[in-house]
Amino acid sequence: MRVKAKAKDGVVSVKAMFKHPMLTYDMAKKQGKEANFITHIQGKVDGKVVYDASTSQFLSKNPFIKFKFKGEAGKELELSWVDLKGNTKSKKVKIK
Amino acid sequence: MKRRDFLGLGLGAAALTLAPVNVFAKDYRKELPDVWKIKNNEKDANDEKPVMEAVKKIFGTDKVEEGQIKLKAPDIAENGAVVPVSFKLEKAKKIALFQTANPECLVAIWDIPEVGIPDYAVRIKLKKTGKVIVVADVDGKIYKVGKNVKVTAGGCGG
Repeated sequence: MRVKAKAKDGVVSVKAMFKHPMLTYDMAKKQGKEANFITHIQGKVDGKVVYDASTSQFLSKNPFIKFKFKGEAGKELELSWVDLKGNTKSKKVKIK
Repeated sequence: MKRRDFLGLGLGAAALTLAPVNVFAKDYRKELPDVWKIKNNEKDANDEKPVMEAVKKIFGTDKVEEGQIKLKAPDIAENGAVVPVSFKLEKAKKIALFQTANPECLVAIWDIPEVGIPDYAVRIKLKKTGKVIVVADVDGKIYKVGKNVKVTAGGCGG
């Protein structure tokens, strides 16, 4: 997972990329595998939700997202995802 | 205890242990499981009926107004596997992203937190030429914008 968070004038801009094959049902069928994709992405600062997305198989492979929220530099952003199989990953970065 | 009851108990316990730990504020995959299965019209990528059916389930109404949302998507996507889509509006409670090109129409639903600023971008897959549609709830009013994206190489194949 690659995350960058920058604050300017009280607005934090985040860019993030997650490593995930995002295998759709169609692709999985063709490859004889099981479908699996990220189903939820969440961002938190101080335990408070700042980004919340319920997602489907149609995000690109290794999904890339950008989002903004009201916040300041110096705090820690925790970004996490969970996939269809229940795998989960999270990363903490300092807001610059 | 009867054998049947005992087995039932076992199943219940198994289901409990399998249930994933859920710490998310809003999990629309759990809350609206059926909406993710709504299929697009395979023969006509101009047909927005499946999208409107999903909009009704997500936003509680299919009465929408055009406008408010600034949507950016390419006119032509050479690679349907990676199509950048971004959208922006002043404020919103909930935003949903759809397309008419893939087997199912829904791509994602965002719940906008108090501190959230709905200026988002995401990369999506498009199997063929179709419409990308963003719908947002702004103070209880539902707005919609759409854009045609021509796909020259599909993104949902093997």
